[in-house]
Amino acid sequence: MTFFSDIRHYPWTNLLTGLLPVGLAARLPARFQSKQSPIVPLASIAGNALTVVIAIMSFLACLTAGAVYMINQSAQAWVNDISSEITVELDPVNEADIEKKMTLVSLFLAKQKGITEVKPLTAEDSAKLLEPWLGQSSALQALPIPRLIAVEIDRSNPPDIDLIKTALSQNFEGVTLDDHRRWQAEIRTLTRSAALGGIAVLGLVAAATIAVIVSATRSAMASNREIIEVLHFVGANERFISSEFERHFLGLGVRAGLMGAVAAAIAFLLLPLATHMLGASTVTAAETQRLIGSGELDLPGYFLCVLVVIVVACLCMITSRLCVIRVLKSYA
Amino acid sequence: MIRFDNVGLRYGSGPEILRDVTFHVLPGSFHFLTGPSGAGKTTLLRLLFMSLRPSRGLIFVLGENVSDLSAGGRSELRRRIGIVFQDFRLLDHLTTWENVALPLRVMGKKESDYREDVTDLLRWVGLGERINAYPETLSGGEKQRAAIARAVIGRPELLLADEPTGNVDPVIGNRLLRLFVELNRLGTSIIIATHDYALMDQLNAPRLMLHNGHLHVR
Repeated sequence: MTFFSDIRHYPWTNLLTGLLPVGLAARLPARFQSKQSPIVPLASIAGNALTVVIAIMSFLACLTAGAVYMINQSAQAWVNDISSEITVELDPVNEADIEKKMTLVSLFLAKQKGITEVKPLTAEDSAKLLEPWLGQSSALQALPIPRLIAVEIDRSNPPDIDLIKTALSQNFEGVTLDDHRRWQAEIRTLTRSAALGGIAVLGLVAAATIAVIVSATRSAMASNREIIEVLHFVGANERFISSEFERHFLGLGVRAGLMGAVAAAIAFLLLPLATHMLGASTVTAAETQRLIGSGELDLPGYFLCVLVVIVVACLCMITSRLCVIRVLKSYA
Repeated sequence: MIRFDNVGLRYGSGPEILRDVTFHVLPGSFHFLTGPSGAGKTTLLRLLFMSLRPSRGLIFVLGENVSDLSAGGRSELRRRIGIVFQDFRLLDHLTTWENVALPLRVMGKKESDYREDVTDLLRWVGLGERINAYPETLSGGEKQRAAIARAVIGRPELLLADEPTGNVDPVIGNRLLRLFVELNRLGTSIIIATHDYALMDQLNAPRLMLHNGHLHVR
């Protein structure tokens, strides 16, 4: 396959010279310097503006991929957390001795198969759950706040939730069971929406990158028309000519992709600090943390950024190749 | 080797530049293509080199009907043909050595396999001291010699040269002619387009004379 052959034969050792300023690159050992001049001059293709545009595209792609990954990880952790727990809610209205009822319901739940732990929440615990929204107020004590029992289930041997639900409603009045299915479904919907949004953004970034590369390739071919003619006259075929262009675009893609990925990695490292410095309130911080976790990317997340570099480089290379072949056919 | 059958060429709806051109060139032959300026010498070479398509007639080059060739087939055929352009067509960003080595690089040969050959040929055409010079620093004659070296480095079966001695002094001109004759002895067919009668008189080679779009062999 010529595509893999071009990647294999790309002068990778020379890439370092392309990443460094000219003066510094000239001081590198000979093995990093190119032995032969490229047939298509690099200066006629890889302008700084093009490199910056592709670097920005890579940066956006890395940010999007990283954000979707973080949301997905956080949502997965949340789903795992709530799917191993159910909540039983007791309505305190018209209940003379709610504490007694809490004990009875707890004992009933503890006897059920597949339940590993029953944890009744005190009235203070229930009130604390509302504090982020209602604040610390003595008025809370006057409110008929529902009492909660957190029930941990054995995920390897789960109980029959519907059976427990029916038994609770038959034996106790004003007691409901929430198995968090609605929340799980909503989290999954949120995750899917974020993933779809991310894919849409990545698609737009890819489309913009392709458009920029097509335009740059056409412009490079127009400015190197004489070279292409000479190459034709000495017997170069479409594959050879396209490989001369695509090698430059592969190098450009790798350089620009690395720039974008490094910038994105720095952004992810600084994200928690930036959130803190922007003065997010406790509630906002808690909400953000629930949504995207701590804001720090883990190792697989950084691997995604590396993947973006590879995809951007390949996209640049393949696009330029197809564009060159198409233009050459139009010349013929 | 080469066969033209009733070939005609016109640009757009203009008058025919070449009319009913018919000739044969045998393998290993040496021909001069001559005629007054504007007679169509360069156009005929471009037809031979497949950078133009005839308006009518058939052209066979190295046994191939050029009208039937795909783009890949044309590239393969061009590798068997060397061409020297009147305006040299050297690549300005490549050194003289790299320009001459270009056809071998295009063929996918390893640099180590042809390094000495290219250097030797450059020395032979008198450019041994200008190996690392860029075309813009070469004189017209030096460019001409570099262009000829590029055309012959791949040992082509057919060499087409458009005024190859037009920019060189008689001594170098004779030396280049000797190079062409030597190549011809090794089996390369040569067609040189020129109106340098002194050059043509040095060899007893057939002349393809173009006049008013018609070709006569003499």
